[in-house]
Amino acid sequence: MVLRALAASFVRDGVEIVVPFDLALGPGETATLAQPTPFAASIAARICAAIVKPTTGIVYVGDYESRLQPPQAKRLVGFVDAAGFDGDDHAFHCETAFRADVWGLEARVAHARASAVLAALGSGDERHARYARAVALALVADVAALVLDQPTRRIVESVRAFAPVPAIVRTRVGVAAPPAPLVAREPAAT
Amino acid sequence: MHELRATIAIVRRHIDRRFALDFAMQFALVGAIGYIFAHVFAAPPIPILICGTLAAASAAEREHAASLRRVSFFAMPLFGRQLARAHAIAPVLSALSIPLGYATGCALRGAPLAPPAFGILVLTAIVGALVSLSSVFRDGVRAALYVGLAIAAAASLAIVAVVFPGHAFAADAALAAIEGFFALRAFGETLARYDPLPAAIG
Repeated sequence: MVLRALAASFVRDGVEIVVPFDLALGPGETATLAQPTPFAASIAARICAAIVKPTTGIVYVGDYESRLQPPQAKRLVGFVDAAGFDGDDHAFHCETAFRADVWGLEARVAHARASAVLAALGSGDERHARYARAVALALVADVAALVLDQPTRRIVESVRAFAPVPAIVRTRVGVAAPPAPLVAREPAAT
Repeated sequence: MHELRATIAIVRRHIDRRFALDFAMQFALVGAIGYIFAHVFAAPPIPILICGTLAAASAAEREHAASLRRVSFFAMPLFGRQLARAHAIAPVLSALSIPLGYATGCALRGAPLAPPAFGILVLTAIVGALVSLSSVFRDGVRAALYVGLAIAAAASLAIVAVVFPGHAFAADAALAAIEGFFALRAFGETLARYDPLPAAIG
């Protein structure tokens, strides 16, 4: 399993923001995680990417538990925030170099990778451009899973066309029937 | 080696044009204070308190806090303590503009600081910035409490300088090492516990 969540939830000030969800994602698979609000969807995405600790439940990325071994878990996941990356070309270049340093990659390879992903995602409106940049940054490192916070269908389809395709968790705003939210799994792309 | 590369990358990310502008503005402002009040604030506790307070305020500045809270930093495969060390370097460098500015102002006025006195101001700025950093990941009263704690830490250095006038630098260096160590540890803990939540939009 690339990513596994068992009854993961997020509670703040006694209010259950992220309703408990289960997730089991193998290599190349795609899962959709529905939460009632954009705020909840963003937190659920951060929980899957080992950025936010779940209040209850447990999340594994590969063999690493996100609460106990967050750096090891984060090394395997690329995270794309719902807002995307709003910097200009220069900022994107700097961020790519920054990530290459943090992940211990060769800068030239990181820039080539980011450019290839951007080209594959194509052009579009402002939102698409911001999101595509964020996806390119998330895929600078060789990750096993990609967490997309409220992406467009086009982005997901484009990423699923990559080879090798990473496991993808996408969040969306939707009615999540309690106690478990809607989790739809799609088979691995061939 | 990889950890060092990541640390340098984060420091470079913080040291940009805005950092240089803030450094220059702080240097000029405190330089003016030093120039105007060089003879009035001749006794050691007042410059120490000024440096500590300004360093605490500088490290706790809200725009700086927002940049440290960026979610991309928390998506990095680093432990809280590694991130804390990397995040602390730029604010400490920025805080050093305060004693440098004060010493320059005093020197221009014809009342240069003695090296031990300058050393104490440097220690105070470092401690003030390190203690105040924990306010960056808090809001409201809890953030203000950490700024207050930083000023209290600076005040403790001022008191030690007054109580041990013959060995002020050595005594302050020892106290600053202890306070700085615990401040950095506390900042690491703060980072490890912090959840970078999105803006409440739903």
